[in-house]
Amino acid sequence: MRYFKRISLIVLVALLSLILMNLYSLPDGKIVIKDMVLSKKNNINKYKMPDYLISFNQEINFDYLIINAIDKGIPLVFKVVLRVAETNEIWPTKIIKKEIRYYQIEYKALREVYKTIDINGETHEYQNILDAFEKLSKVEGFRFTAANNKNYELWLNVSLDKKKLPKPLQVNYFDTTWNMSSEKKIHKLGKLN
Amino acid sequence: MKYIITIVSFIGISLLILLAKAISNSDLISSDSFRALLGLNILFIFSLIVLIGFQIFRLLQNVKKEITGSRLTLRLVMSFALMGVVPVLIVYLVSVNFLTKSIESWFDVKVESALEGGLTLGQKTIDILMKDIELKGKSIAYSIGNVDPEQRYSLLTDLREKFRIQDAVIFDQNSIIIEVSSEKSDLIPPIPNIKDLEKGGRGFFGRIEEKDGEQIFLKTFTPILTKNVNSKTLILQLTQPIPPSIANLALSVESVYSEYQQLTYSRNSLKIIYILTLTLVLLLALLSSVSASFVISRRFSSPLAMLADATRQISKGNYKKIISKQGKDEIGVLISSFNSMTSQLEDATNNSEKDRERLEVSRTFLETILAHLTTGVIVLDQAKIIRLNNIAASKILKIKSSDMSNMPMSEIVDKYLLFKPMYEFVESYIDSDKKNKKEESQEFKLNKENEQESTIMLQITPIKNNKDKSYVLVIDDISEVTQAQRHRAWGEIARRLAHEIKNPLTPIQLSAERIQHKFKNKLNKEDSEILERSTNTIVNQVNSLKIMVNEFAEYARPTKIQKDAVQIDELIDEVVALYEIEKNITIKKDRKIPTIYADQNKLRQVIINLLENSQDALKEIKNKKIMISIRNKIGGIELTVEDNGVGIPDIIIGRIFEPYVTSKKTGTGLGLAIVHKIVEEHEGKITIDRIKNSGTRVTINLKIREK
Repeated sequence: MRYFKRISLIVLVALLSLILMNLYSLPDGKIVIKDMVLSKKNNINKYKMPDYLISFNQEINFDYLIINAIDKGIPLVFKVVLRVAETNEIWPTKIIKKEIRYYQIEYKALREVYKTIDINGETHEYQNILDAFEKLSKVEGFRFTAANNKNYELWLNVSLDKKKLPKPLQVNYFDTTWNMSSEKKIHKLGKLN
Repeated sequence: MKYIITIVSFIGISLLILLAKAISNSDLISSDSFRALLGLNILFIFSLIVLIGFQIFRLLQNVKKEITGSRLTLRLVMSFALMGVVPVLIVYLVSVNFLTKSIESWFDVKVESALEGGLTLGQKTIDILMKDIELKGKSIAYSIGNVDPEQRYSLLTDLREKFRIQDAVIFDQNSIIIEVSSEKSDLIPPIPNIKDLEKGGRGFFGRIEEKDGEQIFLKTFTPILTKNVNSKTLILQLTQPIPPSIANLALSVESVYSEYQQLTYSRNSLKIIYILTLTLVLLLALLSSVSASFVISRRFSSPLAMLADATRQISKGNYKKIISKQGKDEIGVLISSFNSMTSQLEDATNNSEKDRERLEVSRTFLETILAHLTTGVIVLDQAKIIRLNNIAASKILKIKSSDMSNMPMSEIVDKYLLFKPMYEFVESYIDSDKKNKKEESQEFKLNKENEQESTIMLQITPIKNNKDKSYVLVIDDISEVTQAQRHRAWGEIARRLAHEIKNPLTPIQLSAERIQHKFKNKLNKEDSEILERSTNTIVNQVNSLKIMVNEFAEYARPTKIQKDAVQIDELIDEVVALYEIEKNITIKKDRKIPTIYADQNKLRQVIINLLENSQDALKEIKNKKIMISIRNKIGGIELTVEDNGVGIPDIIIGRIFEPYVTSKKTGTGLGLAIVHKIVEEHEGKITIDRIKNSGTRVTINLKIREK
């Protein structure tokens, strides 16, 4: 009984820690995905199924600390995670596409330009940070193949990749400035045809 | 719990080492394992706090329950914890201060200014180069604008080579390449951004481009103003790499500047993470040391607690308590000595117990002897307090044993004045200043009310102990001896009286009778009557003297007992029959009276004498009663003759069995003396008591003896 109490206490502490960790990684509204567009490409691939292209706009609310950090030369890398799953009333959900891409913004002090690299790897440089943000707000280039008359759902998340931050910032767990994540939301695509 | 604390301490130290290693490895510090390590450490610290809290709670409970060793453990834990906490805290505070100042010192203002200066220098250099290209571009554009289209290429190439430009391309506003001149013959120039061309069409526009992070290019756009106003606007694009030595330096400065800025920005985070790590290290070290202090304290206090427990056991008389060995240190030596002491103590106690038992046996033996002695023994101390007395002493002195024990003799004397002479003798002996006192003895006569006089021989002997002096009083009741001596003396007197008086009596009587016979008829009537009266008086008195002398002779006569089987109850019936007229004699007897062997005639005389005495005592009593009882006793019979007569006066009751002692007006006083003598001759015992209101009781105990 005594050992049972101790084990229970340890389990309780572990559960509390997990809950705290989950609360820590909750979306904070700094990135909002909007105007998501699913467009069908007319070309038929080797599977004889149409390709679909996903594009969306995002509103990234950079606070002055982050803008200051960019100006100090800290590169910000954002991670875009996309999962497309085929849903069925009977069978479990089947993921047909999972893709992770990155885009980033960086300030080049020597030339005094803001350099952006989009999810397709294209580099652009801007004299003004707002132009650079404008460029980053538009994301396009996710492509997947889907069959007709089947239900699909899309899971999309954009977040700041903290692993790409300088190391001292990575381990400062108390600083929530760098917690930037969009809402982890499932978008029901329904039947595609 | 001891093992748990040991394991926990071990884990704590391991985590401490891992944390220290992780903090010194920049690759590890940013990894998930470091985060896990931090989490593990925090969890572990929490577990340690819980464990220590539980330990403290348990320890305090033990203290409350007053469990042996708990207070010492608490004190040791507090001491060890204090010894650990104070230096570690000092080191921690110094480290935090040092760390904060060190981190701040990294971001010196001079370094920042130097880096900014370097960056500005690079920018200025590039600006100068840009200015140079701008001039060259404008010069080339002007020259080309004034020549025919057929001559443009050759002029462009000449000027490019002259100005040492790497690439020169002429575009129209629709991004169509008009002319290309390059150091590289196979150059296919990339199509410029339409916005750049538009800007270049409006006036000079230059930009700095970076390639692969190693090379810096200057790209300029200059409008070409031609003579023909209607012709399309042409734009000259010049591309010129910055010399590698300058580019590398500029890029290097930019890189360092960027890193410096990042560090400056994240210095607070650096401080926090180092302080966090230090704090974790501190807590781990502290809590591990406190946890370890519990184990160490218990290790120290447990042998002492065992010693305390064993001491308590020994104080309760348990000498079997042996403490297990505890190493070879001083505590081990102490425990070994303690065990040895316990063993010796057990042996000593066993020996003492045996001695005590032996002493007890001796004491019991002595007490048994004293209890069965007919001689009274009293032990007095110097203060004359009775320390010991046996039963015989209380019997002889007729004082309860409980009234004597541990009582001062003076108090007993106050209560029983009878013993005053004895006390005075004892007191004078004890208080005397003689150095070598020898034993002394003295006889004392005790006359107790309603009891026969008794004679006591008191002997006092000093006992020399170590320091205290004690005295032994040996008391013997020598009443019977003195009485026997007295009886013997009376017998001798009686025998001599009988011999000396009886012989002349017969001649006196005969002479008187002869005088009467010879002179009776010769005298006148008157003289004759006087003679007759006188001679008769002589004869009568002589007869009386004869009777008295005979009685004395009888008393003094040597013992000649002829023992026969006597049925005492029948003998009594026979004697009582002689007194049947009185009808006041009651006989009570047990159902079966055993036959005794005695001299029947003498016993008859005893009964007659006793009945005679009773009859005499009842002469003036109205309701006369004599009661004779015969009872069986162990080994004999008890004969009691009781009357309700006038009784015996106190003054003579002690000597009533002596000859010539009587309360009667007439009588020789030999009746009871003869009875006493006959009973003694039969080895019996006779006692006489006054009955409370009035009357006398004579009790005779006779033994059943073989012929």
